[in-house]
Amino acid sequence: MNSRERFFAFLEGRQTDHLVLMPITMMFAAEHAGVRYGDYARDHRVLVKAQLNIAEKFGFDYVSCISDPAREAADCGAAIQYFDDQPPAIDEASALLMDKTALARLQVPDPLGGGRMHDRVQAAALFKERAGRDKVIEGWVEGPCAEGADLRGINNLMLDFFDDPAFVRDLFEFVIEMELRFARDQLDAGADLIGVGDAAASLVGPQLYEEFVWPFEKKLVEGLHGMGARVRLHICGNTWPLLEGMGRLGCEIVDLDYPSPMGEGRQKMGPGQALLGNLNPVAILRNGAAEQVTHSVAECHRQAGERFIVGAGCEVPRGTPPGNILALRDYARSHAPRLSP
Amino acid sequence: MPRYSQLYDAILKGDLKTAVSTTQEALAKGADPENLVAESMVPAMDEVGRRFEANEYFVPELMIAARAMKGALEILRPLLTQKGAKPTGRIVIGTVKGDLHDIGKNLVASMLEGGGFEVIDLGINVSPQQFVEAVKRTNAEMVGLSALLTTTMPSMRTIVQAFKDAGLRDRVKIMIGGAPITQEYANEIGADAFGENARTAVTLARQLMGVC
Ligand code: B12
Repeated sequence: MNSRERFFAFLEGRQTDHLVLMPITMMFAAEHAGVRYGDYARDHRVLVKAQLNIAEKFGFDYVSCISDPAREAADCGAAIQYFDDQPPAIDEASALLMDKTALARLQVPDPLGGGRMHDRVQAAALFKERAGRDKVIEGWVEGPCAEGADLRGINNLMLDFFDDPAFVRDLFEFVIEMELRFARDQLDAGADLIGVGDAAASLVGPQLYEEFVWPFEKKLVEGLHGMGARVRLHICGNTWPLLEGMGRLGCEIVDLDYPSPMGEGRQKMGPGQALLGNLNPVAILRNGAAEQVTHSVAECHRQAGERFIVGAGCEVPRGTPPGNILALRDYARSHAPRLSP
Repeated sequence: MPRYSQLYDAILKGDLKTAVSTTQEALAKGADPENLVAESMVPAMDEVGRRFEANEYFVPELMIAARAMKGALEILRPLLTQKGAKPTGRIVIGTVKGDLHDIGKNLVASMLEGGGFEVIDLGINVSPQQFVEAVKRTNAEMVGLSALLTTTMPSMRTIVQAFKDAGLRDRVKIMIGGAPITQEYANEIGADAFGENARTAVTLARQLMGVC
């Protein structure tokens, strides 16, 4: 089986030769390609080359267009700081929607308009050309809470939930429209799977999540499914209180970060949900020994059961010893899911 | 039971308007500003911290509670200064160089203010030199450092060293925190304390000041 065959067989519930391996790598990929992260984030050719290199070197089943959460905000006109060897950062002090009335005038940027979103679409296209037969290609969009925070400033958004619920809904509505257009173009260019990153959602409790965030995540997931995409939900941080709702979104894959136990995820989301994760990226992957990695991934696997994809809780950090990622790979390769009859 | 329960409730609910109006009413009725802080504000922020730890409150609830508390404190602060009331302690706080995460740091700052401390917040991306200068300028007894990235954590060590180099290390207590920080790391770099969350930050700060 090649990576694509393995991935699609797994999603369809058919037998695979071994476990699927899909850890998120960005800074780690740049490090191994010997390129500066500023270039990785700004030039799709650099990103694609580094991703293909890392996927080859460590036997990943996929390559990804993810680099930083600032692409959409940048094209909307937000102030972004760029660094030579760090991810671009959004300048919250001058957030685009510091003045809420600016939302009414904000236009969805054209994902093919030559900006940072376009660069990601081009990454998807280049992946398709270079590895479309073998590797799964992952596009990426931000979720409502994360992108809403990027546009409005996260400190403001947290207060808006109470001060101006109507604004939050309008903002999330705008975000979903933008992300669906962005996803459409990545899918057309060759993406098989769309990752939805909604990091800031882990800061709100179950009540605000259900009331504000979930309905828009659901709308996004349904829109993506309508385009034929498979969806991977990635909320970093502690999502323990949100697990049940996350399961109800109907994503093909749900990532769990290390503070949210796999066993809890399984219990709250049912036996059918494919779960990915959730090694502690820093304590285990970067700072641990290879045997610890093997031991921890085995524990994740045990808790998650058969609908399990090998990966870390979040991005593999820069400086992670290659031997630890090889240990992940070897675990994936030496275990095959047992299909229940 | 807190004496000014309306203020206490308003802070817990994050109701800024009521927090401000009940503070004004209490003062008009002759309430002692120090009592308002000690008997309503501090217990309210304590309870907010407890609910956060117990997963009953989350970041947004914490933030509106802190805002309500600050609204009341703004009215009280000039009166406290007038009366010559001393803050529990003075602390310079900031997120270290290269790091832009400030939600946790802001919450710690608010809780400390709610706990009766005077807080000098230097914001994000703060250099070792800025920390040292702020301590010189304000005579703060404590420094709080926040870092959320493993790549910016090492800056904490540099800051501890900068205080040594400036000959101020004996005069300030250094407390550190942020998601990747551990007690072991605090020991390793020679910080005085590690705080896991905003509530423990206040307890620790009180201990460091010897006023628990
Ligand atoms: C919000 C957020 C952002 C926002 C920050 C906005 C802001 N104004 O703060 C934005 C979008 C800008 C951002 C950017 C980035 N982020 Co970020 N971010 C987060 C997120 C989602 C939440 C952090 C947070 O606010 N937590 C809530 C607060 C309340 O918790 P806290 O900060 O830990 O604080 C508590 C305690 O630690 C303690 N505490 C904190 N400080 C102090 C200080 C003292 C003195 C004491 C005693 C206690 C104390 O008390 C607090 C209250 O209880 C986390 C993931 C997650 N869900 O946890 C990632 C996360 C922190 N980010 C991460 C990364 C990698 C980045 C980026 C590099 C992303 C990228 N690839 O583009 C950039 C870096 C930008 C920079 N140079 O700083 C990683 C860090 C990994 C690592 N360990 O190094 C995380 C963990 C996500 C992940 N899993 O990968 N991020």
